[in-house]
Amino acid sequence: MYHKTTGYRVFSYFNYAFMILAGLACFLPLLHLLAQSLSSKAAISGNMVSFWPVGFNVDAYIKTFNNSNFNGAMLTSITRTVLGTTISMFILTCAGYALSKEFRGRNVLMWFFIFTMLFSGGLIPSYILITALGLKDTIWALVLPGAFGAYNLILLVNFFKTIPKALEEAAFIDGASFFVILSKIYLPLSLPGIATVSLFIMVGHWNSWFDGILYMSDASKYPLASFLQTVVVQSNMQNMAMSQSEVAAMSEQSIKAAQIFVSTLPIILVYPFLQRYFVKGIVLGAVKE
Amino acid sequence: MKKRNDLWKMVSMVMLSAALVAGCSKGETASETAPASVLKDGKYDPPFTITIAKQQDENAGKYINGETLNDNVLTRWGEQNLGIKIQTTLLGGDASQYNTKLRLALTGSEKLPDVLPVYDTMLVNDLIESGQVKEITEDISTYMPDRIKEIYKQYPTTFNPVVREGKVYGMAIAPNLTEGEVMLIRQDWLDRLNLKAPTTIDEFEQVIAAFTNEDPDGNGKKDTYGFTFSGKDSYNTGWVSDPVMIFSAYTGKHLPRQWHNDNGKLTYGSVAPGNKEALAKLRDWYAEGYLNKELATQGAWDALSDFTEGKAGIIIGRPWLYDSVKDVEKNVEGAKISAYPTIQGVNGDKTYQSAQLNDGVFMFNKDFQNMEAFFLYYDKMYDAAFSTGDFKFGYAQGYDYDIVNDEVTFDPTKFNTPLEAVQGVGKMAFTKNTPSVDGPGQSYYDLANGVKADTGVLIQSASKDQTTQDGYRISYENRDVLLPNEFNGPPTPTMQNVWEQLTTMEQETFTKIIYGNEPLEAFDTFVKQWHEKGGDTVIEEVNEWYNQASETDVMTLMNLK
Repeated sequence: MYHKTTGYRVFSYFNYAFMILAGLACFLPLLHLLAQSLSSKAAISGNMVSFWPVGFNVDAYIKTFNNSNFNGAMLTSITRTVLGTTISMFILTCAGYALSKEFRGRNVLMWFFIFTMLFSGGLIPSYILITALGLKDTIWALVLPGAFGAYNLILLVNFFKTIPKALEEAAFIDGASFFVILSKIYLPLSLPGIATVSLFIMVGHWNSWFDGILYMSDASKYPLASFLQTVVVQSNMQNMAMSQSEVAAMSEQSIKAAQIFVSTLPIILVYPFLQRYFVKGIVLGAVKE
Repeated sequence: MKKRNDLWKMVSMVMLSAALVAGCSKGETASETAPASVLKDGKYDPPFTITIAKQQDENAGKYINGETLNDNVLTRWGEQNLGIKIQTTLLGGDASQYNTKLRLALTGSEKLPDVLPVYDTMLVNDLIESGQVKEITEDISTYMPDRIKEIYKQYPTTFNPVVREGKVYGMAIAPNLTEGEVMLIRQDWLDRLNLKAPTTIDEFEQVIAAFTNEDPDGNGKKDTYGFTFSGKDSYNTGWVSDPVMIFSAYTGKHLPRQWHNDNGKLTYGSVAPGNKEALAKLRDWYAEGYLNKELATQGAWDALSDFTEGKAGIIIGRPWLYDSVKDVEKNVEGAKISAYPTIQGVNGDKTYQSAQLNDGVFMFNKDFQNMEAFFLYYDKMYDAAFSTGDFKFGYAQGYDYDIVNDEVTFDPTKFNTPLEAVQGVGKMAFTKNTPSVDGPGQSYYDLANGVKADTGVLIQSASKDQTTQDGYRISYENRDVLLPNEFNGPPTPTMQNVWEQLTTMEQETFTKIIYGNEPLEAFDTFVKQWHEKGGDTVIEEVNEWYNQASETDVMTLMNLK
């Protein structure tokens, strides 16, 4: 605090105020959701809950965890995220390491990958492919199609490139093979990059819902995001006029809130552990020598 | 098979993982061409499977006893009693996802289910044109059981969307005239202000004015208003939070967003002259604060929360709406809701509402051979509606009803194994709504007239809240106000181009007038533009479709005359 000019202070106050507001904008919806999940049904349908529970009860949570569909979806999501991240990271680190070296045809290969970033087959071809491969109704339909993402590859390649070449040469002289170099030198050194990309993939898997609905013909196989999509979207449907039974079966707002809240927790919990790598992971790749 | 193996090789190369390949080698094509099943004593032997598509939110409500979509008390019942196993092979959550999945299934990448419930007229059209659905004119004539024929005879217009050149490609799912709308009013407010329920538009205005200005909840604050409804998607929602009564008061049978047969010609309700007076009224009321301030941003389902909170005094909707707003009786001490019929129009006639006849149509895979089995099963599903056979009281004891001390009960808390809420049978049955023949609420009307509750339907009706029962009774007494939309065909060519724009223009004009952002004359401009920008062509095309649809006498072909 050496620059205590008026302008600096004004800027600083403004900065604080702005950051606090931005923080609240992110935090308050979550708080509202938590309050709803702990409130009574009557109070919610009367729009009386803001940030503090009205008619406190934990029924919604009991019902949520007693719902076998919810638990199954949670399990599917966890499996999917772990499996998907592992497979993706395996492919990406292998490919990224190779592509960070100079060799013939590297640019052509790279171009191929980037091509997929810009153009995709579209919904119908993808669907026909997945069905023809017999992946429908299996967890592989969720994990495999997105396993290789060109954007993440570029991040990793750039990260690997920042590691001094001399390090690798020294290891060669000591008799290390490519795989040893990758696992003993590159991976530990590029932990920030790997953590960042992993987080991207993890969040991606956790949040993606459309593929679950598309490829699963049995709702008990839905991942959590697809499950929530059907639960939450339902209430906004306009064309339910005929379906009294559907209206009757509609889940209560407090249960929805509880489900959304519970489902965001795991990813919120993972975040702090990866966050310390985050800034470094993104920025380092961008710095060129 | 050859081609698939090649693909697999490619995939496995990319995957670099032997474990994955092993995991994927299952998924053989199920080629179970069962030996011909024969119908013997009302049961198929050996049992066979009818596959079906279903639009259902699988996560709303839940199964009990560890059951699932394809293994529950009803699927087991079908297998044991009829030798028919219903298997859902295509499932979509909401309407748009379901349509997407049906369209994807049409690409031929997988087998289309035998039975396809379709809820979108455009998709109905596309399915017929794809040639993948079966023509069932003969099948209906031959296999449809008589008591079901009687039902379809009453609703010939439900076949309009599925008829092409004198051939029938589908049938309505459980056609039935649904219940009408009633006016739910805060009775305690009426009583406190010494008012009676309004029956004309002037009385209605007095009541909502009093609800706004005379502090009906007695808390000394001006925090209440008269009438809550939704104007987000249409001024004719057709089910809850509906303002259509106000429009109908001035336009009679010409309801907004709806086609009406005016002496043999279909006309579009939103451009009828009376709408202008209706808008003028709503505009005044809005300015006075009698209406929901945010009516244009609230969907039908959201507009009711003000009522539940105790802020609004009147809401209109189907009789079961009471279930959704009765929490106000918990939230606000002394609150009480009563159901009343909708008001009369300015010329003394009743006001009209839109009615629904069916919930989509059944279509069938062209390779599906066993229509007889389908009708056998479909007929049994009607047992609960007719209070006959296996489903005399309900669909499954301990699920939707139970017998306790020789008494049939529909109250889930009194069950032998008490449940939190009644098990929604639609979740297990092969359509999302189970068939009904009760119309706009005949059973409630009968009960009110002293008929003894001795059938499943009557007992179930008698177990509802008194206000709901009143609502249904009113709905039945006024069933003549229910007007089905006369146009239920696929969007016409011009509609596909301009309809979106026209309805947007309509919605914006109406809302702006009510909000006072545009003068009342904007309605005249809207009508003029509507006709010029494609409306006239649409009217022509719609009438052409209507004449064609009623041209061939398919009802005779199907033996439904």
